[in-house]
Order: sequence, then structure tokens, then C-alpha cells
Amino acid sequence: MSSLAKILTRVTAVMLKELRELARRPGAIASLMLGPLIVVALFGLGYSGQARPLETVVVVPAGAALPQDAETYRKLGGAAIRVVAVTQDTNSAHELLRRGEARLVVALPEDFKARLEHGEQAPLIVEWNEMDPVRSGIANATAVGLVQELNRQLLKTALVTLGIESVSIGSPGVQITAEVVASPLKLEARNIAPSSPTFVAFFAPAVLALVLQHLAITLTALSMIRERTSGAMDLFRVSPVHGLELLVGKYLAYGVLTLVIAAVLVTVLTVPLNIPLVGDRLALSRLVLLLTFASLGLGLLISLVADSERQAVQLAMLVLLASMFFSGFILPIEEFREPVRYVAYALPVTYGVALFQDLMLRGGGGVPAWYEVALLAIGVVLFALTAIRLRATMRATA
Amino acid sequence: MTVTQSVTDPIRVKDVFRSFGDVVAIDGVTMTVPQGALLGLIGPSGSGKTTLVRMLTGTLLPTSGEIRVLGEDPRAFRRATRERIGYVPQDFVLYPDLTASENVAFIASLFGIGWWRRRKRVRQVLELLGLWDVRDRLARDLSGGMRRRLEVACGLVHEPGVLFIDEPTAGVDPMLSREIWDEFRRLSETRTLLVTTQSVEEAELCDHVAVLHRGRVIALDTPEALRHGIWGGEVVEITTERPIDGEALRAVPGITRIRQPGPRKIILVADDAGAATPLLIEAVRAQNSGVASIDPYQPSFSEVFAAIVERAEKERAERQRVEGEAAAAGTAV
Repeated sequence: MSSLAKILTRVTAVMLKELRELARRPGAIASLMLGPLIVVALFGLGYSGQARPLETVVVVPAGAALPQDAETYRKLGGAAIRVVAVTQDTNSAHELLRRGEARLVVALPEDFKARLEHGEQAPLIVEWNEMDPVRSGIANATAVGLVQELNRQLLKTALVTLGIESVSIGSPGVQITAEVVASPLKLEARNIAPSSPTFVAFFAPAVLALVLQHLAITLTALSMIRERTSGAMDLFRVSPVHGLELLVGKYLAYGVLTLVIAAVLVTVLTVPLNIPLVGDRLALSRLVLLLTFASLGLGLLISLVADSERQAVQLAMLVLLASMFFSGFILPIEEFREPVRYVAYALPVTYGVALFQDLMLRGGGGVPAWYEVALLAIGVVLFALTAIRLRATMRATA
Repeated sequence: MTVTQSVTDPIRVKDVFRSFGDVVAIDGVTMTVPQGALLGLIGPSGSGKTTLVRMLTGTLLPTSGEIRVLGEDPRAFRRATRERIGYVPQDFVLYPDLTASENVAFIASLFGIGWWRRRKRVRQVLELLGLWDVRDRLARDLSGGMRRRLEVACGLVHEPGVLFIDEPTAGVDPMLSREIWDEFRRLSETRTLLVTTQSVEEAELCDHVAVLHRGRVIALDTPEALRHGIWGGEVVEITTERPIDGEALRAVPGITRIRQPGPRKIILVADDAGAATPLLIEAVRAQNSGVASIDPYQPSFSEVFAAIVERAEKERAERQRVEGEAAAAGTAV
């Protein structure tokens, strides 16, 4: 038998052994296959991505001579707020805010008209009760938008009340209507991105990248622990098997499995969940392959440095946590300070998230070209580190 | 099986030491195992058997000394040499989620055996070890004895020229132990085997026995030679018709040792039992008794082992005493 044939025999044996062992644990396979599918399906079906309108109580003092019906303020507030009550009592409005039954209190001043008639600005008091900085920001933005809209409406109403339907400014004969005076600029917003994904569609490729990385790491993180702790490594040391043959066998076994799961996940995302795939499937396959290669390396490295199964699981979970925070999955990488950004750039999923979103939603070309190279480089470095570590592990104990 | 080493001997060990920190596990072992021998490496737990086997297989480096297996230093075995070595570790290290035949086939593949030959060999070794009927059973569902046999099957599947087997009968019932040893005897007709065991009775089943104690080989010979050597001659057991004074038989020429376990029972060591027998009968009659029976005494190997260890301990104590005195003398000077 030639040397090459022997190498192929050994590599294939390791690959088949790993796959057989996995196949003998149907529970583990089911959770591996179904787990990510359920996560993706729940995310796709359960996340609306739409911010809920803020439940708002409008306080209109008795002497304010302003409308007391909710419908008037609902029209003024637009889609950002939902007026749940109009009251004259500030205290009862605050109580609703404190109990969480209202998220915004808009209090109009009693001397609203009098102030305007005296040429003074009237304060519009908007209050909210949010600890969450994101929700607080939304409330603030809503308040700003609300006051602008009210100002515009008041200006227009004032002009019409004064009998000024239109004014003449600039070129003779050009009449500008009260509407234009109140709102000289009209917003025409356009997103020039090739597709306008929903929140779900935007996050789905990132979820795919995260699930694939986690899957590959979880699969491989435990793969060498048992062999190292049971004494099987002594068998390998005595046998003619080379560390690289073991490593390639394991990469192939878990690579094949991860790619099969990736194919199922992509199908679930693109067919029943209607996530767009603007780029071509071949390019997506290439990215999946790169991400899988790098992630398997990370998992195998964990399995070679951890001293027990427990530690391997802990390290895999640590990588998952780091991936959630630093990969751009939730928070943009640019918002982190520079040293922390390096953590993001060390994680395969960081490139996976950006590349998958770019290819699936934009069709590619929207992220730097070096991202793919970096992902490949991480994979190669991890492969080399794993090979070096395995070689050291297989060396005779001094 | 001596310290005289030949380059053709598949296992050669010379002045090998191995320590773990301050603990000396192997203390100057020198031995050879010739082609086609079944060597039993016998010693109590912690005597250094596994350490020695691990050094011989290249998984543990010696602190000093020289080891050659199939003519090569285990630290730098070539692949071709590794293909000729088999190793059955002490603990079960196979894969519980693979069947018996899958485990054997996997190990065969690691040794580069192609599909066609592998299929044949897997069947051969499983049949040889009585595991063919359970070939499709998962290893985790096999009994302890079956697992040990499965490990031996894995060690044999690639037809190694030298096979190291570490405590194959630990935790195995006596019937099965016997079968396993019978198998080793058959295997030793075509290959060299080094088998470690804590069971001294298994020493009798080996061609040669090395007794390992405190990291030293304190005896190395055939079981018969060890038995003969430890008593310093042939052992005879006499049962007399009436109680006699056994010490009086010491006067018979050629009698070197006497032990009297009972008033009518005497065990003697003679240089030549055949020549001493008539003289012994005479000496018994001289004490107004008669000889009810006189038989060659076959001491159990437990007794032989105990005597070997006792002798080694005495020698060690003597050595320490001499060293202590020398040190004291040096201090005094």
C-alpha cells in the first residue's frame, strides 16, 4: 500500500469515526440540527422589529381652552404615539407613568394662549420614565418630533386664523401658502440600498453566521478532550498516525456536518422565511466554507487547550458571549474603542456577520475586500496553531 | 533473556532510569527480550510496569539510559516501525459509541491497512478472541472481559511483530484470564510479547519473567529457573510416619535449607534431590520414624515471588546499611 493510500485511509478513518460517534448520539444530533433551526425560525416568526407606539397621556389644564378629546391629539402625534388618555390632572398622569401604564406624559401649559398672545414661547412639558437608554432616546426623539409638529400646526393655524392664506415674498406675483410658510421643506427620504430588508431580514444573515460559528465550535470543542483524557492519545502516539492526519480527519467530519446544517438553515431562511438572497449561492457557499473552516479551528483549539470537558464548554460559551457583544451582531463595531475592536476582529463571526449581510441583502461589494481574506487568514492561523498544539500533545511525555 | 544484548533482540533496555520529580519510578533497568518470547513483567501496583511499557512504546521519555525496540529508539520511531508495534493500554481507551468491529477497523485504519485486508483482519481477530458474535454490539454494551479482549483484538489487528500489553487481565475473571493467556501463548509463536501483570500466578504462563520491584528488575529468567534459583536447588517435601526433628536432616550431604511446617512435614532444598533421597530416608529412620511419602515440592509462584522480593529487600537493607556506614565514616573523617 502506498504512503498516500495509507494517509487517505487514516484520514478517512478518523472522519468516519467522528461521524459514526455523532450518529450514535441521536439526541445530540437532534439538538444540534433542530436547535439552530428552532432559533432561526423563532427569530424569523417572532421578532417584528417595529417599535411599539408610546402610550401617551395628554394633560390639558381646565382653563387652557384647548380640545379635550383624544382623537385631536392622536392626529397631531402621528404614528409614534398612541394617546391613551386626555386628562386635566397632572398627578393622575404621573401616576399612570409611574405604574408603567403610560410611557409618555405631554403637558400643555394652562396659559398657552395668553403667552402666545404676549409674544412669549410656551413650554410643552414632555416626561417619560425609562431606565433603558435606548427607550429613553426613543422617547426624547418622539418628544422633539412632537413639538416640531405642534409648532408647524400652530403656525399654520395662526396664519389661517389671521386671514393670511398666502404671503408674497421675493419675486412679485409669487404667492406662498400658509402650508409652505409653516413647512418650507418637505422630507423625501430614500434608501438607495438595493433592497429594503425588514428587521428580521436584516438580522437573519447575522443569526446564520452566529449559529454556524457556535455550532462548529460546540461540535469540535469536545472532540479531542475525551481522547486526551482517556489515554487514547497514547494509542495515537504508538500508532503511525500523524497529528495532521487526525486533524484533517476531524476538520472533514465536522466540516461536512456543519455544511449540511448550513445548507438546511439557508434553505429555511430563504424559502419559508423569505429572507432575500440577492448575491449568488456560490459566493454564499464560499463564505459558509470560510466561516466553517475558521470556526472549526477555534473549536479544535479549545479542545486541545482545555483540561476537561467542563472547561471546553465554558470556553465555547465565552466565545459565544464575546461574539454576541463584539461581532457587530447587536452593537456596531465602530462604536467600540480601538483596543476592544481588536477582539471583534479576532472573531470569525465578525466577518461572517458583515459578509453574510452584505451578500444576502446587498448582493456583495459593500464590505472591504480584505474581510474574506481576513476570515481565511484566521482559519489558516487557527489550523496552524491547532496542528502545532496537537503535535506537542502527541509528543512523548518528558 | 539475559543482560547480554544482541542487536537482533526486538526489545533492548540498558541502564534506564525514569523519575517523576523526586520519585524514582524506574531505577536502572537493563534487560532484553529475544525474538518470539513471551515476557511477563510482574510486580505490584506502583512497581513501574506501566512506566516501563510507556517508555518502550515511545509515549514517555526515559530520564536516562538507552532503549531499542526493533532496533530503533522509541523517541524517533519511523512510521514503518510503528506499523510493526502493537500496544494495549491498561485502561479502556476505545470508543464506547462504536461497535466492536468498528473499533477494530478504526485501529486497523490508523495502521494504514486498506479496506480489503482490513475486512479480513477484523474478522480474523474478532473470531480469534471470541468476539465475532458481538461484532455489532456497541463497545459500551460489552462486558468488562469482552472489552479487554476487544482491546487485545485492536492491538493485534495489524499483525505487529512486537506487542506490549499492559495488565490485560486486571478485573477479568480467572477463567477468562486463562483464555487470554492461552491466546498470548499462541501469539508468541510468531511474535514477541511483553505483558505486564500484578498476578504472580500468571508468571508461570510466560516463557520468561521479569520481576519488577521499586523500579528495579530484581529477577529475570524462565519461571522454572526462578523457582529453582530462589531456593538454590531442588525442593523436596517429606512426610514422616512419626514426628521428628527436621533440623537433624541438615547433616545429610547436599541439603542446603530446611523448613518444618509441621511435626511430620519437612520441606528441604537439595543440590541434587535424586542423590539425597536415600540418605534422607536413612536419616529419618535414624530418628525411629519412617518416610510416609517423599515428593518433589512445587512451590507456588506466590511463594517464589515473595521469596524474590524478600531477598531483594534484604539486599536493599544491606546496601543501605553499608552506604550509611560509609557516609558516617566519611562524616567522621
